[in-house]
Amino acid sequence: MDMSRYRELFLSETREHLNQMGRLLVALEQEPSARETIDALFREAHSVKGMAASMGYERTAALAHHLEDMLDGFRRGGGMPDGTIDQLLAGLDLLEGLLEDLQADRQERDIAAFLAAPAEAVTPIAVATGNPDEGDLELLEVIEIEDAGQRETVSEAPALTAVTLPPPPVSTVFQVTVILAEDATAPAARGLLILRELERAGEIINATPTKETLRQGGGCPRVQAWLRTAVPKPRLEESLRAIADVDKVLFVDDRRTDGSRRGGEAGRSVRVRTDLLDLVVNLTGELLTRRFMLQRAATERDWAELDAALEQTTRLIDELHHQALQARLVPLENVAGRLPRMVRDLARKTGKQVEFRMTGGGVGLDRLILEELSDPLVHLLRNAVDHGIEAGKPGEVSVAARREKDQVLIEISDNGRGMDPQELRQKAVARGILAPEQAALLSDREALMLVCVPGFSTAREVTDTSGRGVGMDVVKSAVEKLGGTLDIQSVVGSGTCFQLRLPLSMAIIRILLVSCGGHPLAIPLTRVQRTLELPSGEVRSVGHRHFFQLDEEEVELVALDSLLGLVGGAAADTLCVVLIELPGRLVGLQVDSLLGQRDAFVKNLGFPLDRLPGMSGATVQGNGSVLFIIDPHPLLEGQSAVSLSRSKETFDALS
Amino acid sequence: MALRVLIVDDALFMRNMLKDICVRAGFEVVAEGDNGEAALELFREHRPDLVTMDIVMPKRSGIEALQDIMVEDPQAKVVMVSALGQDSLVLEAVEAGARDFIVKPFKEEKVIDVIRRVASRA
Repeated sequence: MDMSRYRELFLSETREHLNQMGRLLVALEQEPSARETIDALFREAHSVKGMAASMGYERTAALAHHLEDMLDGFRRGGGMPDGTIDQLLAGLDLLEGLLEDLQADRQERDIAAFLAAPAEAVTPIAVATGNPDEGDLELLEVIEIEDAGQRETVSEAPALTAVTLPPPPVSTVFQVTVILAEDATAPAARGLLILRELERAGEIINATPTKETLRQGGGCPRVQAWLRTAVPKPRLEESLRAIADVDKVLFVDDRRTDGSRRGGEAGRSVRVRTDLLDLVVNLTGELLTRRFMLQRAATERDWAELDAALEQTTRLIDELHHQALQARLVPLENVAGRLPRMVRDLARKTGKQVEFRMTGGGVGLDRLILEELSDPLVHLLRNAVDHGIEAGKPGEVSVAARREKDQVLIEISDNGRGMDPQELRQKAVARGILAPEQAALLSDREALMLVCVPGFSTAREVTDTSGRGVGMDVVKSAVEKLGGTLDIQSVVGSGTCFQLRLPLSMAIIRILLVSCGGHPLAIPLTRVQRTLELPSGEVRSVGHRHFFQLDEEEVELVALDSLLGLVGGAAADTLCVVLIELPGRLVGLQVDSLLGQRDAFVKNLGFPLDRLPGMSGATVQGNGSVLFIIDPHPLLEGQSAVSLSRSKETFDALS
Repeated sequence: MALRVLIVDDALFMRNMLKDICVRAGFEVVAEGDNGEAALELFREHRPDLVTMDIVMPKRSGIEALQDIMVEDPQAKVVMVSALGQDSLVLEAVEAGARDFIVKPFKEEKVIDVIRRVASRA
């Protein structure tokens, strides 16, 4: 059987299993006697083994089998000897390495050293068994333990594991799926034949559909069963394939619906619900119909019909776009799944006591954003453990995500020592980043943002994981590159919270079209708080800076043309202002005129245009001309003291 | 040695068709029966490797004949031949021990495929 088409699925599912194993191992370390955690780990390892063996990835299967054996031993031994968790974690790391090899199409790395390491000796104890119950995986594994207890050598053990491992159990339990040919007749009878073949091979623990369903004539294009058998999979597959109308035989695990492993992976493949795909197909069909309407209306010069068809087409394209974006959403936990393990390792390394909590792992983000988010998240958590959490006190680190309209808010918080704005100001001065009078001008919020200035670090001691002043500036620019914002809140003695606000998707954004210095420009609407027209008489000037009153607040007015180095437009009685919200303050961006809003498909800028500050991309207009999309945040931050390390001259000129 | 087949069907047309298919595939048709009662007698007499059995037949139905044969030889390989829409009868036959089934109208290659598969299995 050609297994190559299952490769992507194997890679993504296995990654999920490994993530889950990482979570479980961390949980197990906290509560080493938690039997159900060991059981769950056993199941994960078991799944990986089954899938890898089906794919013919021998070392991955052998290692998973080894871990499974270790876990089984602890389960029967009734506990975890010291040092076991580390051994299991090392095994998990090795599994991850193997998966990387497979992903990269390399040969699987050597695992002999790990397999040769002495496993913790445990004495088997009797395990009570229950009646196998339909769908009860817990019990299913219990059955297997009993098997392992009475293991004996058999000549027809799978060749795959026989090379490197102790003799495998007589029977193994796995799930087999038999898919019938599309034109199969009397599928219920066919299903019964398949079940009968499975019964000949071993014991069916549960089957879908059941025999009873089949007897009542309930047919089904596939038969799925958990089977306990000593028959090797290749032989079983052969005998199943000997049945007429059998199209495929799979030994791949079914995805469980326990809610802990929803969604796809952040890598190359994304799982899409079939109903969503159906919807997309339907919409495409409708669009085809509209195309004929348009064609006819155009041929007959029927303008009313043309209008109607255009309107319907627009609506359909909007819907199609919306659904297509939905398909790209991937739950955050796909990257966050590794975080508990990472925090645990860090806590151990630093000798700190840290509890990790995560909420909102199911919040969906665009696949592309999620991929870019991984490193910043890791960095923020490292900072939290290294610098936030204090030694000798119970520490808490949390990641909380939630959806806020068309944005996702991710908060990384710790209950550590917090950051003192005054201390940061002094440090900036001491480092020569700011003059004392400049530092004094910073609001507390701006002072906190100093940690994002390259070369600025709050760490008193440099650790090997973080604290060299690289990092926070990288985090900030990564978040901004994604069209998001970073905000920091901190209370001395209570902790720090980093807030990441990210757009749900990034390929298509809503833009505000403005004219500036005679050029049309676009500003992402997510950056715009509101627009207003301001009588020029309301502008107050202080030196080179301009302000106006908005409600109760004094807002600085900055001309976009001078920010961009464009030739300014003529003075007008009424100024067009785009209000931009920066962390902690509002800024009015003065433009020549407001041209309206629309959706734009963003294309990234290539070198050297991507080096221009504030240019976040470009889009092609209806008339074929290129429209630049500007990101006001980096431009306007040049106006505040925070990024002065980069543009000290600008600051001097302004103040 | 050629596979020895017994064909049981009340319609001469079907018997001829199945026989032609079997011969073309290189099987040996050892006997033909036209009712369920004859089926068991012919089975005892010829001990074929495989039986194709129509379901709806006079005297004893194909399912009854199948049951008779299964009593005679639990290892017997019987392939049912049913019409479209007789799924419940096919089910009954499978429960009674039929090794496989063919649904009319059938294609020649399908018949040969099913017979070969059943013959190759223990």
